[in-house]
Order: sequence, then structure tokens, then C-alpha cells
Amino acid sequence: MTEIERYYAPASLEQAVDCLQEAGGVTVLAGGTDLMPQKNAGRLKPQRTLMNIRGIAELRGVELSGGEIRIGALTTITDLLENPLVRQHLPQLIEACNHFASDQIRNVATLGGNICNASPAGDTLVPLLVLDARVDLVSRPEGRMLRRGLPVAEFFVGPGKTRKAPTELLAGVTIPLPPENYLGRFFKFGTRPALDIATISIGFGGILEGGVLSRVRVAFGAVAATPVRASHTEAALEGRPLTEATIAAAAAAARDEVTPIDDVRASAWYRKELIHNMTKRILDHVAHA
Amino acid sequence: MSVSEKPRFIAQESLIGTRVTKMDAPEKIEGKTRYIHDISLPGQLHAKILRSGRVHARILSIDTRAARALPGVHAVITAADVPDQRPIGVVRDHLPLKGDRVRSLRDEIAAVAADTEEIAAQALSLIEVEYEDLPLLANPEDSQKPGAPVLHDDHPDNVAMRFEYSHGDVRAGEAESDVVLEDTFKLHYVTHCCMGVSGIIVEFDASGSLLMYSNTQVPFLHKREFADYLGMDPSRVRIIQPPIGGGFGSKLDIYPFEVICVFLARAAKRPVKLLFTREEEFLASPTRQPVLLTLRSGCKKDGTLTFRQVHTLHDNGAYTSWGATTPFVMMQTFSSLYRVPHCDYHTVAVYTNNPYAGSFRGYGNLQATFAIEQHMDMMAEAIGMEPLEFRLKNAQDAGEVTGQGMSFKSCGFKECLTTAAARSDYSRKRRENLEQRQSGGPVKRGIGMASMLHVGGGAKIYPSDGCGTILKLDDFAHVTLITGASEIGQGSETVLSQLVCEELGLPMSAVTVVNNDTAITPWDVGVHASRTTFIAGNSAIGAAKKAKVKILAAAAKKLECAEADLDLRGGWVIRAASGEALLDLPRLLRSLHFSDKAELVMTTFYYEPPSVHQDKAFKGDVSAAYAWATQVVEVEVDTETGIVRMNRVTAAHDVGRVLNRLGIEGQIEGGVVMGQGYALTENLLVEMGVMKNPNFRDYKLVTAPEIPEMDISFIESMDGEGPQGAKGVGEAPAICVAAATANAIYNATGVRMFDLPFTPERVYRALAGKSEKLCWKPE
Ligand SMILES: Cc1cc2nc3c(=O)[nH]c(=O)nc-3n(C[C@H](O)[C@H](O)[C@H](O)COP(=O)(O)OP(=O)(O)OC[C@H]3O[C@@H](n4cnc5c(N)ncnc54)[C@H](O)[C@@H]3O)c2cc1C
Repeated sequence: MTEIERYYAPASLEQAVDCLQEAGGVTVLAGGTDLMPQKNAGRLKPQRTLMNIRGIAELRGVELSGGEIRIGALTTITDLLENPLVRQHLPQLIEACNHFASDQIRNVATLGGNICNASPAGDTLVPLLVLDARVDLVSRPEGRMLRRGLPVAEFFVGPGKTRKAPTELLAGVTIPLPPENYLGRFFKFGTRPALDIATISIGFGGILEGGVLSRVRVAFGAVAATPVRASHTEAALEGRPLTEATIAAAAAAARDEVTPIDDVRASAWYRKELIHNMTKRILDHVAHA
Repeated sequence: MSVSEKPRFIAQESLIGTRVTKMDAPEKIEGKTRYIHDISLPGQLHAKILRSGRVHARILSIDTRAARALPGVHAVITAADVPDQRPIGVVRDHLPLKGDRVRSLRDEIAAVAADTEEIAAQALSLIEVEYEDLPLLANPEDSQKPGAPVLHDDHPDNVAMRFEYSHGDVRAGEAESDVVLEDTFKLHYVTHCCMGVSGIIVEFDASGSLLMYSNTQVPFLHKREFADYLGMDPSRVRIIQPPIGGGFGSKLDIYPFEVICVFLARAAKRPVKLLFTREEEFLASPTRQPVLLTLRSGCKKDGTLTFRQVHTLHDNGAYTSWGATTPFVMMQTFSSLYRVPHCDYHTVAVYTNNPYAGSFRGYGNLQATFAIEQHMDMMAEAIGMEPLEFRLKNAQDAGEVTGQGMSFKSCGFKECLTTAAARSDYSRKRRENLEQRQSGGPVKRGIGMASMLHVGGGAKIYPSDGCGTILKLDDFAHVTLITGASEIGQGSETVLSQLVCEELGLPMSAVTVVNNDTAITPWDVGVHASRTTFIAGNSAIGAAKKAKVKILAAAAKKLECAEADLDLRGGWVIRAASGEALLDLPRLLRSLHFSDKAELVMTTFYYEPPSVHQDKAFKGDVSAAYAWATQVVEVEVDTETGIVRMNRVTAAHDVGRVLNRLGIEGQIEGGVVMGQGYALTENLLVEMGVMKNPNFRDYKLVTAPEIPEMDISFIESMDGEGPQGAKGVGEAPAICVAAATANAIYNATGVRMFDLPFTPERVYRALAGKSEKLCWKPE
């Protein structure tokens, strides 16, 4: 077991990235709702420095500017649920937060933590994929602030693995403002209404005009090593009238393109069945909306 | 009680059937209760146990040198350090510390007592054990095959226990049947999930006496067993039970951790405390018996039951606990829930390398009822009779003596059936659901019923089934009720106080209960078999009646009238005929204490129920009364996901009489939720002896939003032997839920599921016909 030698609670983003740059061997602590259980289970070895970033005020909050919604990494799930901008424009994200853990966890769990933990079943990740979100990564090589953006779709590499460098901190996500007539849906299959890890999850976004779908985004959680965009399913829907035949074809494409595994929660076969049946159910609802 | 102004008349008021808040509720809600976790003795050490983590292996070597050398460690013990240890358990097959061989994942190899839990944990990590894996026996069905690994050398056939019961002649019964069904049911692992994890604190006091703070449900049996085990005089063993965070049957046995903690305290010469972690609670506390059950049943066209034949295979796990005797209860359900002229019952409980199954609320009856009540529906369908009518035709009545010798003096079974059916509108909904099976959307509605029979007047498993009470009235007319009955959250102290107050005409505030110290309380056989209210209640009433006689005699003398003219009410001696207040009780008692012939009002009583021990063929009237219930479950099955939502449960219970309405409603609600978990969500996954989900993330207890609406009715059959007419109800509400749910799923979908639990994927597979074993479709 590595001993934590230093506890550091920076007050600004600059101090935080400085620490990442210089110290090496830093564990970033946000809400701790992933970190603590992982440490207690012996799955995570804390590094020499424990850096608590929750004192960095600039990383928390939601703002709209230049046609984009920016959400700070330290924004909690409860913050999201209570935020008028999110409620108005990002229905999938609200739906995901509504099925996220329990009140106690939502009060401390952060969006940034959910993203950096990169679980294939992370509840906010599927909506972020559907919403074309970009992650904002910050580092400070040689004393200058370096920001880079990356589409979330490219951010996840595997379970718990991302393209974030050890010297980078996630500052937040940027989401293009969806248009007025935008339809967003999120579905999480758990065996109970709260406190459950998704067996599968489905995100949908698009515009339905004159019965025809456009700008379609579909993403799935818990059916691959990372949350994934479903390009075949999207192709089966894009530019087509949302008829029964289209829905059936899209649901079949969805079942065929996911690659889930067997684990204690569900078998791969059942996950595929759920993806098929629930994709169909969501599209039925959209067609009748 | 304070002396109040003299009222002229006191109206009669009864506490029986009222809603009395549990005496310990306020302190528990405020978080003030001191559980075992909150107790520390001066100089106390902290213990941890090293478990094998192997399913079946020979131990080649154990090296504890580094652990012993760690600063802060006071004792390290292995089997080699306790040459005097002997096996524990009902059949003495379980050595607390394993020296040469481990038979399950949880097996205890070594234990450490240290200054802190952290040091103890670190010491465990320094112990090195070498193993050689042995072939494992994970499937109970393999245990009887030639060449199967043998778990205990003195049980070469891997059989821990066998039970054979029969009445009548099943072959004759089968010959006269118009319909015969045979099906195999598979029941899974679940565990108690007590909010308070297992724990113990052990101290040898200055005189060498053994003091244990223990969460046991059976303090007097424990005391004897420990004395016997340690070769001590039993009078030098004392058990104090701090408030217990849930029992449900999990604390009926002596477990290795308790014996190990005694060894550690002896070795360290210091008090030692041992508490399980939640993961350890999953791994090393008992489970409900997994059972493979084949039921063959028959009936005539007119709906008369003809016979029943049952074969069950129980997975004991690696050792034998009291839970292996669940067939005692199972066979009662098969032989006597309905009138069945011919019945055979056979159980083999076998050893495997799986978790160690113990006793659990319902004690085999959930498993038996699951099978029998599905067959009742299936036979009704086969002969074209309404399930309700079929059950009513075969249901027991008062006055019946069954083939097993159980004698039903009070029996509200038929009323349970008709009440639950009427209040749920069972017959109409069942028909409508059937009509809508083929039409409509993916979500189907279903309704199903199941009934149960359980002991309700104790169970004579030991030579005695009694309980003692000491009642002590002080000069303020405050009563101390000293009872042998343990409180494990079920509300016994409240109901016992109520019964005493009813006799003595006192308010609930006048009682203090002492019930948790074997050095003070009189003897009792423990909390099990839904016996406490019935047995300890009769005992408390007996003591209160004696006290009342003493008080009235003194009052009669003072008032120069006949005792029969007097009564006690509202803290006063009253004139029985008019309710006129004559003497206030505190003053009367004080004058008794201070008179020249001073007398204290103190009484003792021991109640032994008029039940009998079963004979060798398991026949006999084992309980002084029997409880009945019918529950109707309504579900929605989402056929596209397999999710079963339980919307409503209508329960009708023959409880003899309601004593504390609030308490009994809580008992039923809690039991139904436990049954719901058994039916729908809880599933301890064990693969090749390894537990896959020892945590609350993946072992799914029912959460608040899933709890169904409940409609609870009480059938008051006023049992002649019961305290104020009451019968036991502790286990009853959990028993029917899974069976009724199976019938409801069938009503909704036309698919029969014989294997529990009904978790979404399993239901979905059954609906998809993906698993031959899971589903049964009518031709
Ligand atoms: C009881 C319980 C229920 C849960 N239920 C759900 C659920 O329903 N759905 C769900 O998706 N998750 C659930 N989780 C998981 C967890 O709550 C979420 O993933 C949460 O969003 C993590 O956020 P956090 O702030 O607590 O992260 P932390 O635990 O503090 O951090 C998680 C990881 O991200 C890193 N990190 C955090 N912030 C940053 C940053 N800004 N820059 C760089 N690295 C960073 C940390 O170093 C760590 O590796 C549950 C957890 C618990 C304990």
C-alpha cells in the first residue's frame, strides 16, 4: 500500500495544474464517490500526493455563452438536476441524473468524476455522447496554461481509461446548444428505480420534422468497454421517416452492433435483447411524441 | 407512578388491539441506542479473522511469525495454538479454527487480537498460508455420485442429515387420482442482511468468569454450550445482549467467530471485541437453504386432494447448522396445510463446498410453500376449478387432527382465503388478466394467491419450550418485568409490557423491561419458531395474575371486603361492579412495604405450553397453536425486459388476536418485503463455491420505491391457549409471497417458473423459452 504523504487543496485551477505538472504521483479527489470505494476495495493505489480539487470555485457551475453550454467539472449531479439551463436544454442529461445513485451520492458526486472514472456504465456519459459534448482538458507545461478540447466520443479508451494525460485536469465539458425542436431521450435499465448500476443504457437525440428524423445521435452504455456511439443504428434512422419498419430496422441494427459481456449483473445475450427492445420502445415513444 | 387526584369512577379501557408505539422506537429513531458497535470495555483489544479464500484445500503450512512480531499485536492463534478446541454445531462437524483442511471460502485459519483494527488487519496480511487445492464439490446433485469428493471423513456419503416422513399410502392415493402432477422446483441462496453485522465482546473477569456481550437469539442455550465447550461451570458464564440489529434466525447457532474470540481473550488476557465487516457478513454469516424439491401431487376431478410425495435435496454447505433441520417445518406444510390423506416426505441434506446454510425466518416454509401453492393452482387448472374454490375445498378447519398429529384447536384458514380473495377482487381480476394475456401492450398484469400454515404456539423442539418471568412492583406501583425472552427488534418487550399492564390496570409508562442478561433473567429457549409473544406472553400474564391476587388480597383486607368485589384499573383499586375508585395503587403498595409485616409484591411464573415432542416418525402436536394466512399478490410483468413489479399485496392472517396493532402491522409489512426480496430481487450468486456478489451493490435488497401497496386484514380466531387469544406471527408474513408471485406471473403471461428468484433476466429468459429448466408451458 502506498502511503499518502501529502494532502493538497488548491484554491485555483492554476495551482492545481501546477501541482500535477510538478509533483508527479498525484491522486485527484473530487467527490470521492468512486475513489473511496475503489481504494477500500484495494483496486486503487493512492499516489503520494492527494489533491482535493473541490475548493476550486471556477470549476463548478453551468453557463451559456456563444451558443454553447459549459459545465464545470465540479458541478454535482444535484447541481445539474437543479439547474434551469440543463433542465431546459439537455433533457437526456436530466433523465440520467434522475436515475443516478441516491440523494446522498448525488450531493457530492461530480460530473467530472463520472467522466474521468470512465466506467462503461457511467450514467452521464451516454447523454454527453449524444449531445456532441467536448471535454476541456487543462495542463501547465513550462508555466503556461494549455487547454485542449476533445470530443467525448474520442476521450474514452477502455474501462477506467481515457486520453487524459497525468498532467491534465478535466476543467469541464462544452455542449453545443441543441435547437428548439430537439428531441432527447435517455433510458437506463436497472433492476430498481434508484441505487443501481446500469445493465444497459440508451441515449437518443435528434430532430423530427414532417415525420423524418435528422441529426440523429444514438449511444449505448454498459455494452462495450466504453460508452459508445452507435453509428449503424444512427445510419438506419438518419433522414428516414420514423415508420414501424424504420424502427424495427434500427432496433435490429442496435442489437447487432453492441458487444456486451457476461457479468454478475447480466448476460451478454440479455443485454443485446434489452438494447433491441428498449431502442424500439424509445423510438416508438419518439414517433408518438 | 405518581399519586394522582382521586377520580370517582374509572371507565374500563383495554390496551389489547390498540396501537402502541414500540418502547425502543424513540431512542432508535434518534440514533441513541447503543449497539454492540458502541460498546468498549476498558483495555479492550480488536480482533480479526483470517479466512481461507479457498473453496476446498489442504493446509500445508501456516506461518504467523511476522504477524506475531508486529508491534501492537497481543495474540495470534491458529488451530495449533488451541489444542483443546473441539467441533461445534448441531452435529459437531465444525472446528472453529481449521488446522489441516478448509472446506469453504469463509473457513477460519487464524485470528489476531491487536490494539487497533488496523493493526489486526495488517497482522493478517503478514500471515502466510500454503494450500494444496482439493477437488471441489459445488453441486449438491453431484454429492451422491460415485467418486464425489468426500467433505467429512466420518460422512463418506456426504449426507449430513436425512428425514423420512409418511402418513397413509401414497400409492393408493395415486391410484385413485384423476390428475397427477410432478415438477421440480429450485430454490436459491439468500441471506439475512441484518443491519447490525455480527459481533461479540468477550472478557474473562477478575474471578475468571466468562462474560460475553453477544447478539445471540438464544442466550440460555448459548450459555450452556459455551460452558460445555470450555469445560466451565455454566454458572460462571454470563451473556449480556446489547440491543440487537436484526436476527431473523441468523443468530441461532454458535459460530466459529464467537469461539475464536473467546480463545483470543483467553490468550491475550484482555477483553477482545470482534465485529464483522459487511463483506464478511455476506461471506461468513449463514444463508437460507437452497433446495431442489420434487413434488408429486394428485387430486380427483371433484377437487379432492389424494396424495402428495416430496423429495428434497438440501445444500447444507460445508458444515451443519440448525438450519439443516428445516424439514421439520417443511413436512408440516406438505402433510397438513390442506387435508391430504396420503403423504410421503423425504429429505437428504448434503455437504458441499458452498456457503454454510443456516436458519432463516420461515425455516423451510418459504421453499415448501413455493412448491405446494404452485401445484394447487396447476391442479385447479387441470380439473377446471377456480383456484380459490379448490383451496377452500381442501382447507383445514378447527377441530381437525392431521395425519402428522397436529391438532387445530383454532383455525381461521378458510376466512383467510375468503377475506384475501374478496379484498383483492381476486377471482374477477384473475379472469380479466387471463382474457388480456394475448391482447394489449408488452406489460401484462397478473394476480396470484398462496396460503400458509406455521407454528403459532411455540414448537417443542427441545425437552421444554417454556419461558420464565419475574415481576417486581415497587412502592410507586412501577413494574419491572424481568423476562427470559430476548428482544431482537420484533417488539417483544412492548407486547409483553402491554399484557402485564392489561392484567394490572397500569399504563405502559409504568413498566421497565429487563430481558438481556443471563445473570438476571429467568430461563427461556430463545427467539425462534414465532414463539415469543405466545410463550413469553403467557408467562408474563401468569406472573401478573399472581401479583394481582396478592394486591387484591391486601386491598380486600384494608377495605374489609371480598377480593372478588375488587379489581385493578388505571392505577387504582376499584370496585369491580361499578368502577368506583377505592385505593390508589402506589399508596397501597407503599403501605405494604412499610407495614410491620412488610411485604413486597414480587412474583415468578414459568409457562410451559401443552404441546408435545414429536415421536421418531415426526408425528405429534408440536405446537400449542397454529397460524394461518393467505396472501394475494398483484404484479405487472414487462415482457420486453422481464421486470416484475409488485403493485399490491393483500394479506389476511389468522393471528388469534391482535395485541399491538401497530406492532403486528409492522411485522406483516416487514415480512412481506422480505418475501418480496426472496421472490424478485435477492440472489446470492455462488459459482464453484465462490460468492460473486457479497455486497449491497449487486445483492439487491428491496428499496423503498419498490415496496407494494399493502392491504392487511387480521382474522381473530381467539385461540384458547394464546395470551389474550393471540398466536405467533413472526415468520408467517414472509412465507407466501414467492409462491403467490409465481402464480401471479403465470396469470399474467402463461409461463410457469419453478426456479427462484424472478429477477428480470431470469423472467425474460423464461418468457423467451430460452431455458427449458426455467419454464413450463401448458400444452
Ligand atoms: C453508492 C454509489 C452509487 C453510485 N451510483 C452511480 C450511478 O447510479 N451512476 C453512475 O454513473 N455512477 C454511480 N456511482 C459512481 C460515482 O458516484 C460517479 O461516478 C461519480 O460521478 C464520481 O464523481 P466523484 O466526484 O465522486 O469522483 P471521484 O471519486 O472524486 O473521482 C473519480 C475519478 O475521477 C478522477 N477525477 C475526478 N475529477 C477529476 C478532474 N476534474 N480532473 C481529472 N480527474 C478527475 C479521480 O482522480 C478519480 O480517478 C455511484 C457510487 C456510489 C458510491
